[in-house]
Formats: sequence, C-alpha cells, structure tokens
Amino acid sequence: MNRKFFNLSIVLALLLTVVGVASAQDVTVRYALWDTNQLPAYEECATAFEAANPGIDIAIEQLGWDDYWTAITTGFVTGDTPDVFTNHLAKYPEFVALEQLVDIEPMVERDGVDTEIYLEGLAPLWTRDGARYGLPKDWDTVAVVYNAAMLEAAGVDPAELDELTWNPEDGGTFQEMVARLTLDANGNNGLSDEFDSENVVQFGFLYPGSGGFAGQTEWSAFAATTGWHHTGGEVWGEQYFYDDERFINSIDWYFGLNLDYGYAPTLAEVQGLGQLAMFQAQQGALAIDGSWMIGSYLGSDFEVGFARLPIGPEGRKSMFNGLADSIWVGTDHVEESWEWVKFLGSAECQLIVGNTGVVFPATPEGVEASLQVRADAGIDVSAFTEQALEENGTFLFPITDFGGEIATIMTETMDSIALGEAEAADALPAANAEINELFE
Amino acid sequence: MQQASKAPPRSSLLDFVTNNQVVLGYLFILPSLIGFILFYAYPAIRAVGISFLEWNLLSDPEFVGLANYEEIFADERFWRSLRITLWYVAWNIPLQTALAIFFAVMLDKFSTALSTIMRSVMILPWLMPNVIVALLWLWILDPSIGIANVLLNTVGIPQQDFLGNPDQAIGWIAAINIWRHAGYNAILVYAGLKTIPKSLYSAADIDGANGWTKFWRITLPLLRPVLVFVLVTSVIGSFQVFDTIAVTTDGGPAGATRVIMFYIIDQVFNRRISMGTATAASVVLFTILISVTIIQMRFLQADQSDLADYS
Amino acid sequence: MTSPTQTQSTKQDTNVNSSFRRFFSRLTWGDAVVFVILIMLLVSILFPFWWVLRTALTSPNKVFTDTSSLLPVEATIFNFERVLGLVDPSEIVGTESTNISAGTINFWIFMRNSFIFSLLITVGQTVFSTMAAYAFARFKFPFRDQIFFAYLTGLMVPGIVLFIPNFVTIRELGLIGTMAGLVAPFFLMTPFAVFFMRQFFLNLNRDIEEAATLDGATKFGIFWRISLPLIQGPILTLAILTFIQSWNEYLWPLLVGRDESIRVLTVALAIFRQQTPQGAPDWAGLMAGTTVAIIPTVAIFIFFGRKVVDSIQFSGFK
Repeated sequence: MNRKFFNLSIVLALLLTVVGVASAQDVTVRYALWDTNQLPAYEECATAFEAANPGIDIAIEQLGWDDYWTAITTGFVTGDTPDVFTNHLAKYPEFVALEQLVDIEPMVERDGVDTEIYLEGLAPLWTRDGARYGLPKDWDTVAVVYNAAMLEAAGVDPAELDELTWNPEDGGTFQEMVARLTLDANGNNGLSDEFDSENVVQFGFLYPGSGGFAGQTEWSAFAATTGWHHTGGEVWGEQYFYDDERFINSIDWYFGLNLDYGYAPTLAEVQGLGQLAMFQAQQGALAIDGSWMIGSYLGSDFEVGFARLPIGPEGRKSMFNGLADSIWVGTDHVEESWEWVKFLGSAECQLIVGNTGVVFPATPEGVEASLQVRADAGIDVSAFTEQALEENGTFLFPITDFGGEIATIMTETMDSIALGEAEAADALPAANAEINELFE
Repeated sequence: MQQASKAPPRSSLLDFVTNNQVVLGYLFILPSLIGFILFYAYPAIRAVGISFLEWNLLSDPEFVGLANYEEIFADERFWRSLRITLWYVAWNIPLQTALAIFFAVMLDKFSTALSTIMRSVMILPWLMPNVIVALLWLWILDPSIGIANVLLNTVGIPQQDFLGNPDQAIGWIAAINIWRHAGYNAILVYAGLKTIPKSLYSAADIDGANGWTKFWRITLPLLRPVLVFVLVTSVIGSFQVFDTIAVTTDGGPAGATRVIMFYIIDQVFNRRISMGTATAASVVLFTILISVTIIQMRFLQADQSDLADYS
Repeated sequence: MTSPTQTQSTKQDTNVNSSFRRFFSRLTWGDAVVFVILIMLLVSILFPFWWVLRTALTSPNKVFTDTSSLLPVEATIFNFERVLGLVDPSEIVGTESTNISAGTINFWIFMRNSFIFSLLITVGQTVFSTMAAYAFARFKFPFRDQIFFAYLTGLMVPGIVLFIPNFVTIRELGLIGTMAGLVAPFFLMTPFAVFFMRQFFLNLNRDIEEAATLDGATKFGIFWRISLPLIQGPILTLAILTFIQSWNEYLWPLLVGRDESIRVLTVALAIFRQQTPQGAPDWAGLMAGTTVAIIPTVAIFIFFGRKVVDSIQFSGFK
C-alpha cells in the first residue's frame, strides 16, 4: 500500500514537474520592421538572442513602408500590434500622445543599461519628461551624391565637392559648381552666356521634392547652416519658426535654382518617380540624400560617389535622424519584449547589423563595422559618418506634437512655393501662424 | 381511371414553403441579410454614433454632440476636398460610361472570335490590382523619364507635367481610373446588351431604321437597368477614390488631389485616430451619396424595365 | 480537265474571296472611323501591359537606364526567379545592394491562398446574392423595398467606416488569421452583387413565368427551373467579376491575413513596393510579380468568357 502510494506520488511529482516546465513554455515575441534589406541582419540577431534566451522566440514580421504605419496604428485599436516594433522620430510623438508605448526607463534603471554607448544625442531623443520610449538602433545623416562620369566630363575633381561654400544670397561656390554641371542641349553649361535654361539636358542639382515640414533631404542642410532650426533647437517644442528671415531666404535660394536659373528640375519633374529615379536615369549630376539610400544609389548603372555637404555660414549641418525599437503597451509579454529590446540596443546586436553594411548602427563599433564593409567593397561613405561625428555637425529632426497637421500644412505651402505659385515671404509666415495656433 | 393531368399532390407544408412568396422571400434573403446586418448595418450605425463622440478608440469616449460636425464644416480643407472630389467625378463618370457603352456596342458588332479577343483585351486593365495600375501610370506619365512624354515629343507636343500640374492632376487621376474601369463596365453593359432580343433589331431593319436610330430607340432604352447599375456603382466608387491618389500624388501637388477620402483617412491616421471627425465626415459623404443615388434612380426610372413589359 | 481536288480548292477560294468582298462592301466611312478609334483604344490598353512586361524583363539596376527604350534593357529572367521564390535573399543583400527588395516569397503557397480566398467568396456571394436578388425582383413580402434600399445604402457607406468595426467583429469571433475570418465580410453578400443580379432578374420576361404558374409550378419551381437557367450569363459574369475582384483585394487581407498560411498574393507582392521612406519601389520585381499574378485571372476570364457569350444568346427564345 505504502509502496504504491509512494510510486504514485513519484509519478505525480514527475508529471507536475514536466507540466510545470511545459507551462513555462516558449514565449513568442513579435517584432516588426520595414526594410527587407535589413531582414537578414535582424534574423541573425534573433538567432543569437534565442540562443542566449531559451524560452523566448522572436517572430520577425516585415511590412513595407507604405503599409507599416497603417498596420501599426490599426493594430493599436484592434489589439494586433506587434510586441516590439521599429519606431521613427516622425511618428513616435503621436504614439506617445496615444499612450501606446511602454516607458522603459524603469527597466533601464533596474537592469543598469548603459545609455552612453550610443552616438551622442541619440538616446535623449527617445525620452520625454523623464520617460523613455526606445533604445537607439541606428541613425542617418545626409550627404551629397554625385555622378562620377558627369563630374569627369566637366573636369571636376570629386575632392573639390568637399570644399564648396554656400550662403543664402548667391549660393556661394556651391551654386557655381551646380551651374558648371548643368548642361543645355547645345553643351553650354550654366556659367556660360549662351546657356539656354529652357533646354536643359543635364541638371546640376536634383532634389526630392518640396520638403514638407522637415526638409530632411531637401533644404534642411542649407537652412540649418544659417543658424536656423525648425523649432529653434527645442525638443518637444511648442513653437515653429518658419517665418524666420533666414529660413525664407534659404527657401528662396533653394527653389530659385529651378525657378530662377534652371539648374534644377521643376517640382512636377521630381515629384513623380523621385530623385533616385531621375539620378539613375542620368538627368542630374548632384543630389542630396540620406544614408539609408546608399545601397540604392550604388545600384546605379554608373559610378557614384558621396561627398560632404557644402560649408554654410555656420559650417556644415545635417539633419540627424534615428530609429529605435519600442514596446507596445498592449503586449502580453512585457518582460520578454524588454529583453529583446535590450538586446537590440546592445553593442553585440548592433555589431551584427553593422557587419552587413546596410545601415549605420547607433553604437560606434557598429558604425566602424559598417564603414569597413563598404570600404572592403571599395566604397567611401565617410561623408555620412564624418558629418555625424563632427562637433555641431548635426541638428535634430523636429519632434513636436501635432505632427500630422503640421505636415499637411507645410507640404501644401512648400509645394506652392516650389511651383512658383506662392512667394515664400508671404506663404511661410501665414503657414507658421497656422501651425503655432495648434499649440494654443 | 383518369389520371390527374397535373403534378401529384404535395404535402401542404412543402406546398406552403415552395409557393408562399413571403416565406420564400425571407428565406431567400436570409443569408444576405445576416451578412448585411453583421458587416454593413452594424458598423455603419456604430459609425454614426461615433460621430457624436470624441474618441480615439483607445481611451474613453467623450460625448460632444454636434461638435465634430461643426469642426469639419468650419475646416476649409473639408470643403476643398469635397470640391476636388466633385471635380473628379465630373471628369470620370461621363467619359467612362460613354466609353463603356461604345466598347459594348462594338463587341456586339464583331464576330464571336474577334469579340472574345477584344473582350479579353478590354478587361486586362481591370485584372491588375488598383495599386499596381497607379504605380504603372505614375511611371508612364512621369514628366522627365516617362514614356508618355517621349512619345508625345516624337509628334512634336512639348513636355507635359501630367500628375505634377496642380490644375490637371485630378483629371489625370480620372484618366487612370477610366483606363482601369472602362473595360469592366463595358463587360457589364455587354451582358445587358445580350439580353436584348435580336428580333427587335430585325423588326427595326424591316422598318428601315439606320444604326444610329436603332441605338437611340432600342438599345439605350432597353439597357436602362444595366446602365442604371453601371452609373450608380461608378458614381459611388468614384466618390471614394483613394488608392490611385495615395500611390501617385499623395494628395499633391499643393493639395490639388486631396479628395474627401483623403480627408477622412487623414483624420484617422494623422490626427491621433480622431474617429469622431472621421466618422462625421463619412456620414456627410454617405448622405451625399444617398442623395445622388436617389436622384439618379428616380431620374432614370430604375425600377422599370422596358424589356420585361415587352411582349 | 482539272482534277477533283483542284476543283475543290478553287471552290473554297471563291467562297473565301466572296465573303471577304461581302465584308468589305458593307463597310462605310462610319465603320472605318469607328475601327480606327477602336484600334487606338486597344493600343492604349495594351501598351501599358507591354511596359509591365518590358520592365519585368529588365535587370533591376538598369530600370532607369535608357527609359525611352521600348525594349527591355539587359533582358533577364532574374526578376521572375525572385518572384517565384527561387532566389536566396542573401544573394541580394550586401554592399552590392541594388534598389531591389531582398524579400522572397513563397509564391505557390500564396497563389493557392489567393485561389481559395477568391473561390470561397465567389461561390458564397454568387449563390446567396442571386437568391436574395431574385426575392427582391420577383417575390412580394413585407418591407421588401425598404430592405433592398437598405442594401443599396450599404453600397454607399465609405469602406473606411466598415473597416475597423469589421476587424473587431472578426477578432471577437476569434477568427483573425483564419481563412474563415478572411472571407467573412464578403461571403454572404455584397450590396453590389444583389443589386447587379436584381437588375437582370427584373429584365426577364414575365410571360414564361405566368405560363408556368398556370401549369402548376410553385414559386420556387419557377425560380429553380425557369429564371435561374435564363440568367446563367449574368450569373457567370458576376462570378467572374467577383473572383477577379477578390483576387485583387489588398487592404483587408493585409490586416487580417498576415499569417503565411493564409496570406494572399497581393499582400505577398507588397514586398516589392516601397521599402523605405523616400525609397523607390523595386520596379522590376513588382512588374514581374504583377505579370505572374494576373496570369490566372486572364486565364479564367478567357476560358469562362466564351461561356458567357454562349449562354446568354437570346435569339432562340421567341
């Protein structure tokens, strides 16, 4: 009798242990990103993470940029948002306002996560009023892209591009270079008296569009060198400064390249398929674009290079944008999600990402790795990285509330100015007033 | 013994079910009614209710009465989006319908083999997803590297801005949609054409009618139910145009293609899920569509069918 | 003396000649103008498709080279290989990363899912909507017109309004990520289908129905044996149109059917669309994907399209 009972209890105990272990089953953390080119890198990170954290599985979902934010936002409502998702500075204020992001500051403090390992200025972007919503993942700056063959044909040494100066009045030596690289149907360049601006076959300067409210790859690198910033340098500012004289002058100059001189295409021409398409179709010699587009430009049918931005009145300035991974408030697995976010923000994972060379991770070692991968392929992308590491070389993407409304107002305003249908000096103060009213 | 000349006697229950209009009627519409209530009526009524709230679906709603309606009526962008939408419908529908009828009549004229080929060709645009069609035309109509301008240049027409021209953009969006839908609507009209007895045309021939007369006096009137259908559905669809614009001009240039759907979706995805104003604008759109449809159907006497009365 | 075969062939030639002559002699200027317009329209329909094919056959990094070329630039089937899932993503990512998407798709599974999705919806909608349409057209029952009008108003409700509540409904039924949940909102009816079929039922001649009633047919019998066969053409038309429309459905499957086991082709092909902000779509892959995705719909249309013609000939009736 006793024996039987003893055996039974052994069996029961074993069963319970098995069940107990089984119930501490694998947790699946869903993670979303938009760039297929980064998918292999993060799958590698996931493998490393799962090895170090048995019991947590990472399920990576990829959605293209067009659908990404629709899915995330709809997911908030329907309860379907992934546990962790890649977040963007332009979108995250709205999510904070909707209270959909987990504040990870308590966990950062509890686990003693070092937020100093990232490039300077990146980590604080993701904080507001003492709460933290993400750990920096990668960053981007802008630089000049050039068509090597066109430079050679014009007798320009690419190194010259790194020494150009700019000012809002006459465009400095930058405008001269642009003029030099603009060719009309008769082969005259923009500096010649016989230049025919109605018949341009090669533009000296391409641009992506009217720039909307941020102008990241459009005019921000110029306007910021005058000392101007969208929100006066404030993060979570409550006032915009589009009516600033310096900004108006910069905008006049920027669109004047097309409207006054013909060195750049019209808005209609660039807004269709975009700057990359025009560049690859060999319609222009120079363009400004972001580091996330490096791979795309390298896919051109001809040799391309990357050069530094022109030096404005206060030096060179590039907009500094960073991505981070955020945890959704509705997740069932906060702790596991945090572990994954911690790993994504760790030097180890960022080194893995850097080794694929697709983006610049937020940690300096990751950046080194990425640079090395490019260098091994014979490509110099230091124009982007040096800008990031330079003292006062960057300024922030404007982070404020009401991003949606502001984007709508500024896109329409800037489009009108770029089309030549409105004067910057009139339209911008009006738009700025409308924007500042939102904050009242 | 004489046999009954009719069908054998049925049980009265079966007889009741199979011959009672009311029972059959409800039985027949039952599945669709369930679907309608669950997936159309319920959400729509909820939407009207939400239009009186300030709610982002995540936190608690707040009753605000007519405030949402006041807000959108005071918004210049709301009225602008309605104007742009009307303009779009005006460009789109007449042309599309005329083309559809033209195509359908042509299909009817040609021999079967040619007709099948043509029918297949005509429907091709509709076989592609809307988004792909838009992307394709974005490319073809690109001012600097699109093939359209290249072809125009060869006949001496200067470079056109197409979608980049604020005054023309909405017209070109209409053109893209006509390209996609004309063939589809033609198939519908063609199906309708096929139900018109050939004997009518033969009779008209005997009376010496020419092609034009036959078209106006026989074809068009007898196509009425189908045409009504095509017109009503096209108009309703046109008012809700979105995908094509989102993919090509994204509301630009300078807001020239911001139609009403843009405004509504903007409320949801760019205004912190402002469901109140989004549904309020939807209710306004819905009201417009109902009015337009009622007018259309009254005007075209949709319930009558000349064919059914023809003996 | 000519041999029998020679005589025969001469006879045939004469027949052909005379039918040609008859055809051309009937042509008028009006016909010629119409013909020219028709050709122009057909070209404007076909040309973009050629453009799709041309781009699909172009190497990804040559997509914007020589954009005025009417032929593929550096023709290749690499894009089709990518679409059909025959290429390893690691071959694409890296510093040679051209503007092509590194995503791959499990093509045949997604194609299968699209088929199941479209077929289910087509069958469901055709059957239930036809029944309802007949009831609205021929039966008299209380509230008939009001209910039909309600259906019509359903047509006018902007889709965005139905969208989120429907998603929540499906979620509450626990059907997210299942094929059942995917087809649910479309399966039982759409106002469009009911409206469409009703118009055709209205057009049916009542004489036959009256004659059948006199012969003792039940109302159901009239439906089943008389009206339904007469309406085969429109039913087939509706089925084809519904199938194709379901095949191209995008937004709903995007949000409800992300799971690989039920993901449809349109959602899968979205990996070729714009990946990054201000990036460009992977044009070559997108066009290859489009080509492959419309082949089934073209086939269905051609195959069933002939039956549409054959079954709705009205000439035999009177």
